[in-house]
Amino acid sequence: MSAVEFILASMLAAATPFLLAALGELVAERSGVMNLGVEGMMALGAALAFIIVHNGGGHFLAFLAAGLAATALSLVFAFVALGFRANQVATGLAIGIFGQGLSALFGKSYEAMTVKSLPKMSIPGLSDLPVIGGLFTQDIVVWLSLIVTLVIGIAFARSKVGLVLRAVGENPKAARAIGYPVIAIRVGAVAFGGLMAGFAGAYASVVYTPLWADGMIAGRGWIAIALVVFGTWLTGRIFLGACLFGAVSLIGLTAQTSGLAIPSQLLSSLPYIVTIVVLGIISSNKRLLKLNGIASLGEPFER
Amino acid sequence: MNTKLTRRTLMKTTAAAGVAAAFGGRAAFAAEEPLGIALVVPSPIGDVGWGRALADGLEPIKAAYGDKVKVTILENIAEGPDADRIMNKTVADGNKFLVAGSFGYQNGAIQLAKRMPDISVLHASGYMVAPNFSPFAAKYFQGTYLMGMAAAALSKTGKIGSVSAFAIPELITSINAFTLGAQTVNPDIDVSVIWVNSWFDPAKEQDAAKALMSQDCDVIFSNAQDTPSVISACEDAGVYAFNLNSSMKKYAEKTYLGCVLTDWSPYFKAQVEAHMAGTFTGANAFLGVEDKVVEVVDWNPDVPADMMTKIKDVEAKIADGSFSPFSGPITKQDGSVGVAEGTTLTDAEIVAMDWHVKGVSTPLPK
Repeated sequence: MSAVEFILASMLAAATPFLLAALGELVAERSGVMNLGVEGMMALGAALAFIIVHNGGGHFLAFLAAGLAATALSLVFAFVALGFRANQVATGLAIGIFGQGLSALFGKSYEAMTVKSLPKMSIPGLSDLPVIGGLFTQDIVVWLSLIVTLVIGIAFARSKVGLVLRAVGENPKAARAIGYPVIAIRVGAVAFGGLMAGFAGAYASVVYTPLWADGMIAGRGWIAIALVVFGTWLTGRIFLGACLFGAVSLIGLTAQTSGLAIPSQLLSSLPYIVTIVVLGIISSNKRLLKLNGIASLGEPFER
Repeated sequence: MNTKLTRRTLMKTTAAAGVAAAFGGRAAFAAEEPLGIALVVPSPIGDVGWGRALADGLEPIKAAYGDKVKVTILENIAEGPDADRIMNKTVADGNKFLVAGSFGYQNGAIQLAKRMPDISVLHASGYMVAPNFSPFAAKYFQGTYLMGMAAAALSKTGKIGSVSAFAIPELITSINAFTLGAQTVNPDIDVSVIWVNSWFDPAKEQDAAKALMSQDCDVIFSNAQDTPSVISACEDAGVYAFNLNSSMKKYAEKTYLGCVLTDWSPYFKAQVEAHMAGTFTGANAFLGVEDKVVEVVDWNPDVPADMMTKIKDVEAKIADGSFSPFSGPITKQDGSVGVAEGTTLTDAEIVAMDWHVKGVSTPLPK
């Protein structure tokens, strides 16, 4: 296998945890709520999913439980930040730290254990293509994530649900004036963000790296949040950013074996640099940024 | 007695201790107080890994001294001000023997040792020495040399690799000895290294292992990883792998090549006994096969029998001191002379090694 084949084959799976978490955060932020607790929600999802698979519960149940647990955590955030109108940044940070603590607590007796991952599924015909064939052999979660990405992208662009969500994020007072229950919609968006973060965590601990270790999310939740902002709240760009980040991380690792005299520290920081630069360039259009930016992001809603 | 603490429960117990102290309860415990031994490690302690090896090293002391010692394990303590505070606290709580289980604890631990002359401190992988402060490290390279021999015998592609944490001398020497050992079997062996630049990121470690496999490496050395990330990925791909510190055989029944085990107990026990006798003296401890600290276990039965005989022979020579992996002539990666013919690197030169031997194809990060 050449280095290019390896990167193409592994890129989508590497991007999936970022993609899932970022899509969830995108929906929450589109409704005007910034939940910085993604890292903690992912960690909680990862721990629970691992515990379930390890005890023979299967991957489906694991994803379900991870999603629900992270949703519950996101509802705690919603209760405080939306119910009591507490500062969203501070609440999100607290929820994030809380989630990491919970994951460490639940995962304590599973430290450094492993489980079996999911099998890969190929698209017949396409997966036999030279060089790019590996791109079409992925596990089911990757395929489902691509579908979810497409659905969310279309929902924002074309559907009424997407329009209402954006209206609530842009101008909650106006949305309220025409009869939309702003708080309820925001709670729903935050809960969706939690669900997706839980899935992302589950993917990390039972599919991508099928083992549990406290702290294994290792900052991926923060990268997901950064991808949402650098992707200027556009589904396509977030997908692009996640793939780019995944691919460049893999390039950084493979490049070391090529014998090129590039310092490995630089290669390790390359994903961050490239993602910031590329997404920075495509979002450098001030007018477009203003158009896509969310007017009421992070502001508590008062009737 | 054994109290196993996390940061969270530590806070609870210290709060409780504070309350007890406020009510004047402390003096009551003064008689027959057991020797308090505290171990501080940077990562969570699982079934395997660096922290587990250190914790296991204290077990024989508990077995031998029973109620006369009290071992406290503080895990998942981040290097930096947090660690300094927690080490100070555990000494203030009455622990007199401290094992600081990470390089990054060095400054805080040595300051503590200088301030409290009645305590004894063992510090992992450091270089500073004080009258009551001893750095300790393992000669992993003795074991990785033997592993290199086995790896070259099993490799079909002639390419082997290592997933390594950070480019520090301890890890560099392990890779160099691995390469030198492999060259005794196959002089043209190619060794690739991927530095993940992190002590702890299982996903990245696994990606690195897969990247090495995509480059046709068919034996992989998991260098300083605390989780079975690399080992289990190799089992799934049918590639031989080995690691350091504690055996991960249960994660890779078929392709586990073996483990360069560290058994700290002979050293820890001797040092604790020295502390009890009042004869503890700070000194640099660089421990290997000859000290029964480094040991290679769980050899894969796939290693050919004649190779195994050769490996055991070299192991015996390392143990009796008649052979060192770093005996000249050794050529550096850039072609210059690393070790001249007829000379052997001293321990001091080995712990400061900052160059790769010829045969390692990845350049060393500066």
